[in-house]
Amino acid sequence: MDETTQPMVLMDQVTKSFRIADQDVAILKGIDLNVRRGEFVAVMGPSGSGKTTLMNLIGCLDVPTGGRYILAGRDVTKLTDDELSVIRNEHIGFVFQNFCLIPYATVYENVLLPSLYTMKSKNDAAGRAVDLLRMVGLEHRTRSKPALLSGGEQQRAGIARALINSPELLLADEPTGQLDSRTAEDIMKLFVRMNADHKTVIIITHDPNIAGYASRIVRIKDGLMET
Amino acid sequence: MMRLIRILAQALMAVRAFKVRTFFCLVSVALGISAITVIVATTEGAFHEAYLMVERFGPDSLMVIAGSDEARAVGQRTKTITLADVEAARQAFTSAYMTAPLMAVEGTTASYKNNKYQTLIIGSTSDYSSAWNWPVIEGYDLAEIDVLGLKNVGIIGQDLLRELFGTENPVGKFVMVKQVLVQIIGVLSERGMSPTGVNLDNRLIMPVSTVMRKIINETRYVTLFRIRFLDQENLGHYENEMKLFLRQRHALADDQPNDFRIISPMEIIKFLVALTGSLIVFLGLAGVICLIGAGFVLANLFLLSVKERTREIGIRRSVGAKKGDILFQFLAEAVMITTAGGVVGFLLGLVSSKLLTMVAEFPIYFSWKSAVVGLLLSWSIGIGFGLQPASRAANLEPIKAIRE
Repeated sequence: MDETTQPMVLMDQVTKSFRIADQDVAILKGIDLNVRRGEFVAVMGPSGSGKTTLMNLIGCLDVPTGGRYILAGRDVTKLTDDELSVIRNEHIGFVFQNFCLIPYATVYENVLLPSLYTMKSKNDAAGRAVDLLRMVGLEHRTRSKPALLSGGEQQRAGIARALINSPELLLADEPTGQLDSRTAEDIMKLFVRMNADHKTVIIITHDPNIAGYASRIVRIKDGLMET
Repeated sequence: MMRLIRILAQALMAVRAFKVRTFFCLVSVALGISAITVIVATTEGAFHEAYLMVERFGPDSLMVIAGSDEARAVGQRTKTITLADVEAARQAFTSAYMTAPLMAVEGTTASYKNNKYQTLIIGSTSDYSSAWNWPVIEGYDLAEIDVLGLKNVGIIGQDLLRELFGTENPVGKFVMVKQVLVQIIGVLSERGMSPTGVNLDNRLIMPVSTVMRKIINETRYVTLFRIRFLDQENLGHYENEMKLFLRQRHALADDQPNDFRIISPMEIIKFLVALTGSLIVFLGLAGVICLIGAGFVLANLFLLSVKERTREIGIRRSVGAKKGDILFQFLAEAVMITTAGGVVGFLLGLVSSKLLTMVAEFPIYFSWKSAVVGLLLSWSIGIGFGLQPASRAANLEPIKAIRE
């Protein structure tokens, strides 16, 4: 398979269980997921369905208990903690529900954050950060602390940060969960724009309106994919 | 490399952002380091002073003082050393290049016009100034001819000079000592207090022959004699030989104590170090306790900080920071704070030493050593007490940390 037809995310019978009070509790019971490059996928499911755990696995924040996970052609099932950090840094842009900005850093410094940890020597992050802030419409807030920004503005900063290292995959966990519906619409339009710009986008949500922006919806229930 | 610098910049940003934490850690480290700085400076000062004393005393010389330890302890100075002893020692110790008797007469009144002052008369052989590394700043030192000719001449210490002459130039003038007119031929430089609190500048140096014959009418006994050797490294050996030599000459039985006392450079060092030693131990203990306290303050505040910043750590981890990067950042924060604390502590130490020297005669000597010791200690506190909180931060699970 060449670069373009190779799937972005390929999960094969992925399971995840946690040990809670001396008992193994299976959260994911065998997930098969195939997300092609350039797709815009929404993962839906009720709370407790395991969608957050799935998001952690896709985002390489955690490793599966069983099965195989291929990210951008690379088997990441058995990578070390440091290797996973590099994968997160170079291939994945995270957007969080509660924005997750560092409170004592300015918007600009927050956007730069992933670029600090990159191993690549060539790194024109400063210039890119300015471009990204302009793109999300925050060029007038670059020197502000996040607390002075509205929720929508904070999430724009979060998106700019997710894009700073030019990852192929954007991963968003309820990105509009704390925003009013008008602001949510603006944010979703940004994701649509990113997708049009050849980024693969995976959004986890329980809101059908949000899922409506995606080109494909996968549903998860009780740790299994619904077909 | 660039990556490490970028993480250092993050650490600096956090140090500036969490001002309360920075302030308390910095102050507690600074207090500890300032105590340590004073101790190092005092220790160095004590050794420096000891070194100076030895230089003045002569690192190659022994001083033999008449009278046993016991007699000296109760303030008596028995007459035990004779001019014959000194002459015999000169002939017996062939490697000695100088053997000189010295006569000390305490509590003698010297007067000039209407001014009177109690002083110490020293009867010395020629070249007193060079023999004791004590410069004559005006006039001349005692010469051979003054001693041989029993000349009525003297060189005067700064304190006695002030009391008798005020601002007048004393050289060539006559001072009355026990009905003897003594012409002042030289002025000694200022030397200040001895470590035991004796004013060294209140003295009048005269030829030993003049003092013995004309001032106290003594023909046999001297207060002490000084002997200087060509081979300094054998001084310990000569000290023992001198002891046996004098015991034999004085026909002391085995159970009798020495009727003299030998002072060597080593003894001077021991004495001076013992004098400041207890103070150094006390300050040292206080400093170490302060530093350990500072370490616990740091560890505690950093543990709190890690708890407070759990989400930040989760964010950093999720965007690609490795465990090592988090560990490095928190350690760097700790070391930056303790380094700043070290610098502030060193300056505090400088100031408090100045105050100490104003309150008491206190040997303080600053060199690069106290700065280096302070810096090394502050780094070790930063690393030692910052490690546990930093590794706790590094080992937070990103998925849990991010949802805090």
